[in-house]
Amino acid sequence: MEFTVSKILWTLLGLFIVLNWGLIMGGTMRKIVARVGKRYGIPIYQPYIDLVKNYSVRSQITHGVMFYLGPVFRLSGGVGIFLFLPLIFGSDHWSNFSFSGDLILILYFQFFGMLGMALGAGEGGHPYSAIGVSRGLSQFTTIEVPMTLAVISLAVQYNTLSISEIVAAQQGGLANWTMVTNPFATVAAMLSLLGAFGHSPFDLVKAPNEIPIGPPTEYHATYLGVLRTNAAILHVVEAALFMNLFFGGATNWFELILKTFLIYFWSVFVGVVFPRFRIEQSVQWFLKIPLILGIIAIIVVL
Amino acid sequence: MDFISPINVVAVSLGAAFFMGLLGKKAQTVSYILLLGALLFNTIVSGQWLYGLATNIIDAQQVYTAGFRPPFSINLLMGLDEAVITTLVNIVGLLGAIYMASGLHKKGSGSQVVYLVLIMSLNVIVLSRDLFNIFVFLEVGSIATAGLIIMQKGINAVSAGFKYMLATGIIASIMLIGVIFIYRFTGTLNLDFVMQSHPVLKQGALISSFLILMAILLELKPFPANGWALDVYESAHPGISAMLSSAVATANLFVLYKFTGMAGESLMYYISLIGLVTFVGSNLLGINQTNARRMLGYSSIGQIGLLVAIIGLVPHSNANFKLIFIGILTGHYFAKAGLFWIAGIVKAQNIKEWSVLRNRPVLLFLFLTFVLALTGFPPFPSFWGKWQLVMGLSQQGQIAAVIAILVGSFFEVVYLLRWAGYSIKLEPGKLPEVKLSQFIPVILFGLGIYATGYFVSQATNFGDTINYIPLVVVAILLVVDFLPAYIKNSLSILATGWFAYLLIPGQDTLKLVFTVIFLVGGILTLIPGFHVKGKRAGFYPSAMLMFGGLALLIEAENMLQFFFAWEIMTLGSYFLIIRGKESMVHAFSYMLFSVGGAYLILLGFGMVSVGNTGLSLNLLSQIKFYPVLAMALLAVGFMTKTASLGLHIWLPGAHGEAESDVSPMVSAILLKAGVFGLVLLMLAAGGEYNNYQGLFYTLGWIGALTALVGNLGAVFQEDAKRLLAYSSIGQLGYILFAFSIMSQLGWLTGFTYTINHFMFKAILFLSVGGIVMRLGTHNMYEMGGLIKKMPFSFIAVLIGIITLAGIPPLSGFSGKWLFYNAVIMKGWYFQGAIIFFAGTIAFLYCFKLIYSIFLGQLKDNHRNVKELPFWYLLPQYILILGIMVFSAKPDLILKPLGTALAAAFPSNPLIWEGTKALSQLGYWDATTIMIVIGTMFVILLIWLMLMSRKAQNVKQFNIVYAGERPERPELTHVSHNIYAGYNKALGFLVAPGITGFWNYATNLVESIGNFTRRIYSGNGQSYAIHLVSYIVVVFIIYISSI
Repeated sequence: MEFTVSKILWTLLGLFIVLNWGLIMGGTMRKIVARVGKRYGIPIYQPYIDLVKNYSVRSQITHGVMFYLGPVFRLSGGVGIFLFLPLIFGSDHWSNFSFSGDLILILYFQFFGMLGMALGAGEGGHPYSAIGVSRGLSQFTTIEVPMTLAVISLAVQYNTLSISEIVAAQQGGLANWTMVTNPFATVAAMLSLLGAFGHSPFDLVKAPNEIPIGPPTEYHATYLGVLRTNAAILHVVEAALFMNLFFGGATNWFELILKTFLIYFWSVFVGVVFPRFRIEQSVQWFLKIPLILGIIAIIVVL
Repeated sequence: MDFISPINVVAVSLGAAFFMGLLGKKAQTVSYILLLGALLFNTIVSGQWLYGLATNIIDAQQVYTAGFRPPFSINLLMGLDEAVITTLVNIVGLLGAIYMASGLHKKGSGSQVVYLVLIMSLNVIVLSRDLFNIFVFLEVGSIATAGLIIMQKGINAVSAGFKYMLATGIIASIMLIGVIFIYRFTGTLNLDFVMQSHPVLKQGALISSFLILMAILLELKPFPANGWALDVYESAHPGISAMLSSAVATANLFVLYKFTGMAGESLMYYISLIGLVTFVGSNLLGINQTNARRMLGYSSIGQIGLLVAIIGLVPHSNANFKLIFIGILTGHYFAKAGLFWIAGIVKAQNIKEWSVLRNRPVLLFLFLTFVLALTGFPPFPSFWGKWQLVMGLSQQGQIAAVIAILVGSFFEVVYLLRWAGYSIKLEPGKLPEVKLSQFIPVILFGLGIYATGYFVSQATNFGDTINYIPLVVVAILLVVDFLPAYIKNSLSILATGWFAYLLIPGQDTLKLVFTVIFLVGGILTLIPGFHVKGKRAGFYPSAMLMFGGLALLIEAENMLQFFFAWEIMTLGSYFLIIRGKESMVHAFSYMLFSVGGAYLILLGFGMVSVGNTGLSLNLLSQIKFYPVLAMALLAVGFMTKTASLGLHIWLPGAHGEAESDVSPMVSAILLKAGVFGLVLLMLAAGGEYNNYQGLFYTLGWIGALTALVGNLGAVFQEDAKRLLAYSSIGQLGYILFAFSIMSQLGWLTGFTYTINHFMFKAILFLSVGGIVMRLGTHNMYEMGGLIKKMPFSFIAVLIGIITLAGIPPLSGFSGKWLFYNAVIMKGWYFQGAIIFFAGTIAFLYCFKLIYSIFLGQLKDNHRNVKELPFWYLLPQYILILGIMVFSAKPDLILKPLGTALAAAFPSNPLIWEGTKALSQLGYWDATTIMIVIGTMFVILLIWLMLMSRKAQNVKQFNIVYAGERPERPELTHVSHNIYAGYNKALGFLVAPGITGFWNYATNLVESIGNFTRRIYSGNGQSYAIHLVSYIVVVFIIYISSI
């Protein structure tokens, strides 16, 4: 596959769609959470207002080079996953640069943004940064265990690590989706998704009421704009990854929008029901039922 | 050439003694000169015969006394064996007299006569072929020895002398009874005639040969009936102890050897058993000793026990017997005399006070030479002796004996190397004045042991294939050790470069990887040495010993060369590691694991040689004798070096406390020696289609668990270097796991991890080591905010941890991608998941490392810290370049590696389409990934810069903190115990259970030793009972077995 101009333009268009869908989806979810809490909530287009405001704020300070680069790493992480992920099955235009690498590349590229952001926030010198990062990393290690088992189970089931081929294998109706053919792997992965999306009960990392005093305030204005941009993209592409692996992928944009919404909604739904775990609880939680499910998922495909 | 008849030894000695007696106390100097003259004459006589017999100028000769032939007179035999032994006895006699010059001088002619008589009697017992004559001179020798023992002032010496008399008295009576029986049954006392009556001795006269051999054995102090001897070693004049240990023991061993002809095979078996029990038991008790001379006593008894065992094992060790015997005997002979002599110079009794040797580096060097010779390291004679012994015994299937020998040797290593460590590391006191007369014998024996080592090596099977050039380099560096460090550093780099130049061209691909790691890595890690001011005494010989050993390892084609290289490398690394300030205990524990591992390798090689001819390393692929066990022994041996789970506890201390530029050497480079061993082993096992699936499956699990425990251990460290050390354990676990997969992808993964670990660990250890050097602390929570002071180091560490963590686009990801494919295709899902889990845990410590050191708040006392020195940064940036090339173009290395591996691992290869790699499962194009990520990053950076206009740099404490400026950086630098929650959740996995196990094992050995030691009550009567009961017990066992 070549880097042709048209290819790059199609990809940019895809990124633009994903960004917009991410913003709208984020607004919708916040609205839903507010309604569950008997509040009226924000307008759905609020993320657009925030973004425009953040990008246009003039005041700008920095704590150093790494601090400055942190958001760049973070956004590169989000955009990178987008670039390496085939979005719409069967479409050359929307398969992006997924010819560079397979599922493993995406799993590991997640860390790129996380690491950069952690270091950037670290240079900010705020104690909450280190606290947040240490919690995030701690929780992350065990979140990935059931996820890994699920991915291995899939690779064995489909005998491939190529996302496009995994999606191809699920075509032809609901009965072919991984969700049906390999339910244990799907459940294990969907449980680790709860941790990865960071909603309650696994939101101690961002600790929405406490940690924001620190790093998110240090990262103000354009930095925050960049981070919000990334959040919007990341939510969609991560959900799209799960969609590709477990829910038959998408053959058109509408299918993608519907499926990513439902996948994302799953974590929001759990979040509004359950209260927050302490860090050692959440670390251990993933090593209990999700781990067992993951192991079963592998035994089943053996 | 006229040969002086050996009878003149007796004549001249007696004559000289007579004159010395006449001279009286007035002319002590004249009498001393007479003594030296007589001893010199003896040495010349035996030396002349040795030369003549060794060069075949003359044949062995019988000397008849009193003009009659035996059996009517006593005859002496001077053959090659006798010539060797008498030469050894006479040389140590002469040098001992020089060493004790002042003592002998002061005590007057009386003591000098006794000394001369002792040496003479030893000559006679070696030469004589008459039983009664031997008995008489044994007695003469005993009385003379007792006289010399009480020459030393103090109640202890007198008491020891008395016990000695008591013991030898009992032994003499036993022997006399034996001699009487012999005469009764054979009608002769001439040894040669007695031997001819061998069949008679086997039956009714069995008791006679038993008693005689037992008497000689008891003279050789078998465990545990040897309390009397220990007291002597401890309290006699060190010069006398040297005599006892080197001269007397040598002569007595030879007497035992002469008598073996009259023993039947079953008695020989018991002799070997007695020897082995003595060797193991005595060395076990040696572990608890703190008194240097008593400890040497234990070691002496142990070594003599080993030699007795060798004599007993003659029927099993074939033609090599004499070489084995001479190798181990001379190792003991030179080293023990040398050590006792040094003990006399040092005066201090407690082994902890021996650091005084550091006042005289030459003495320290000689001391270490002798200690290492005793422990059987190359290039000393005992190394060759032990090698031949183990190989010989193994080939006869005597594995039990081999194990006993290795266990005993290990115990000996424990106390000798602990002692060496004390002398190198503890604060030195004041060294008493060293007399030239004491110094000369020690130096001569030091030279002697190297020379003998060389000659024994040349006589050893395949010993002439050893390449001594690296050792010559080490010797040169030792000689020029007085030069400034930068000159020696340049020399070392040149030498390493030269090795590389010799080895790299034409090297096969798999070995090439290791050659580059060992030697190019060597050069890179030597570069920081330019920063060191002063002489850096002892560093360069040690470093070149290690790198030389590594070069030899690559070169090795047979098992002997391999083992030689392995030991040389271990030795060099020990001396490097122990240089760290707090390294004494850690270097010791490193050495114990290494030696233990080396013995397993030796045992494994022994088993490989069974049923095969030659020593080629190719034999590893055709093991006939318990192949799985042999493979497992070798693998575990190598895994002590790679610090696999269970064998890993030495690593954190050894790597963490080493000097700043030593840590990268031992971590990035040395660990790969173990990997190299495993690679050789696994290739020899047959590659993909091997018969050891179960073994490699186990190794895979060990690797996975090692990775988990190592990484988890690293998370909870506060010490930056220990964090990296634990991380090495984990990384080596990945490597072990990957190679154990035994498929082409698995091996590519293994190589990728190996290459990556070499590069990023060198970078990280150089950076962190340099920072520790700059700040003077290892604790990360005392650091912080150094990014502003050390931006170049920050970038290096950042690259390092990205590679370590396997984040795309750097080369760590190549390893992860290959790993996934290999694991899934192999079907090792659960082990693979554990490794992946370990990989995510690595993020925790990577973040802690870079954050705690470089980010967060800069501490007040570090405001004037400077960037790392150029010489530290240079190798790091060269390695970064390496990482970048390997990241962007992995095919440069992986493609040829794949081709090279295809022979052993033909199925499911990695296919290359340009820069794109394809496996059965997936695909990955490192170059494209690099381009995509790079472009995207730059575009997004520009995007932020456009949007953010001009960002203004704010000062350190200008943070959102409730309006407060936290002027004390300690308050806001969150680093200490940062993963407390994680510890609460998973910390139980790294509870120090394995350390507990090893501590328990150590305590057990020590308490067994302490308990057994109680039999040595110090009471002469108990010792007498021990002797008698020993004979009774052995007799009962022996008789009941016939």
